[in-house]
Amino acid sequence: MSEIHSAVGSYVVNALDPHELEEFEAHLAVCPTCSREVAEFGETAAELSLLASVPPPAALRGSILSAISEVRPLPPEPPTETSRAEPTTNETQTIAADIRHAVDELALRRQQRRARVLTVLVAAVVAAAVALGGVVYTLVQSRQAQVAQQAAETELLTAPDVRTYTATMKDGGQISFVVSRSLNRALFIGKDLPAVGSDRTYQLWTLEGQRPIPDNLVAGGGDRKEFFREGLGGVTSLAVSIEADGGAQQPTPSTIQTVTQLAS
Amino acid sequence: MTLCSRGHEAAFTELYDLTSQRIYGIILRVLRSPDHAAEVTQEVYVEVWRQSARYSRGKGSVIAWMTTMAHRRAVDRVRSVSSEMARDERYAVHSGDREIDQVWDGVEQRLDIERVRKGMASLTAIQREALTLAYFGGYTQSQVAQLLKLPLGTVKTRIRDGLIGLRDALGVEA
Repeated sequence: MSEIHSAVGSYVVNALDPHELEEFEAHLAVCPTCSREVAEFGETAAELSLLASVPPPAALRGSILSAISEVRPLPPEPPTETSRAEPTTNETQTIAADIRHAVDELALRRQQRRARVLTVLVAAVVAAAVALGGVVYTLVQSRQAQVAQQAAETELLTAPDVRTYTATMKDGGQISFVVSRSLNRALFIGKDLPAVGSDRTYQLWTLEGQRPIPDNLVAGGGDRKEFFREGLGGVTSLAVSIEADGGAQQPTPSTIQTVTQLAS
Repeated sequence: MTLCSRGHEAAFTELYDLTSQRIYGIILRVLRSPDHAAEVTQEVYVEVWRQSARYSRGKGSVIAWMTTMAHRRAVDRVRSVSSEMARDERYAVHSGDREIDQVWDGVEQRLDIERVRKGMASLTAIQREALTLAYFGGYTQSQVAQLLKLPLGTVKTRIRDGLIGLRDALGVEA
């Protein structure tokens, strides 16, 4: 590997001095390998920034929102040969759509990797459907349920009163409940759930005081997400047990994995 | 022309709420001064707003576009004012990522953070230190080489190897 090529990491983390920077950028302009690495490392560095996350001072939000109200966004760059042909509406709509798109994308990125892959897949299928004039319409339809699930997750995760409760189950499984009282919905998330055997299943429960109400079943093994079927009306706790395949009407006391009390 | 119509600003507010912990966080980590960090964060968001119509998916994800801009501006600020700020050189090495056990409500983010931590843990000590000093410390590769008492060429490859290792551990899509 050439000396100059090895500077690509330092370039992405802005660790080159002005002279090195100039030299590297000249190389970058003619090196497709480095260009690709710059793009990839840019995404990696963005993930790395998560480790520094900290809430900004509350006053900053208002200050920034008032600052942008006095700044006019630049118009889109004139299209180049490499840019994709996109329908040009008026400038205003394009900017709104771009920001909206950015927000949507960010919301989606917060979901599991698998969901992200699915998003790309759905987008590709939708694009193909448009291009082929509806030939693959049924394929799109078959994905719609999954898209709806993602939309529901995004809505929940961005609800103003969303709360997350994490718990370790008796069998060691790490789980979370994501709960929004205002949306009246709760989502179960299991990360690397232990396998429970082919004839058994995790079962979710809502509890109104001491009264358990059977809810959806979740297969063991792997990463799982499942919305609770029931609303949260009088619900005070959420619980998980392991039951025989098909679920139970009453939780088996010895197999209760966790009972998590919710804030009212 | 209603460029600053309500619709935009609502969307921008949402974007701010989704990203501000990361953007402010990385800027603060590099600058270590809340006042400077708030100022630079504001500059970054105003720039994002100005450039919003020029972002295109081909340039990578929105968050990568934004964190790249934030990190670059933070580093520029550090280098222009580093003498007056008298930064503690040991800080970046020893503070590591201890500050992050903070207010993370979203379980998805928590899972993501865990993933990144594991990714960092999978690197060799030198890769991790070089990457941490450069990215979170805002040091140039030459300064990193001095701090770690290693040849510049070694530091350069360790930073790149660290990013490769982390990229592979995270499975980040470009």
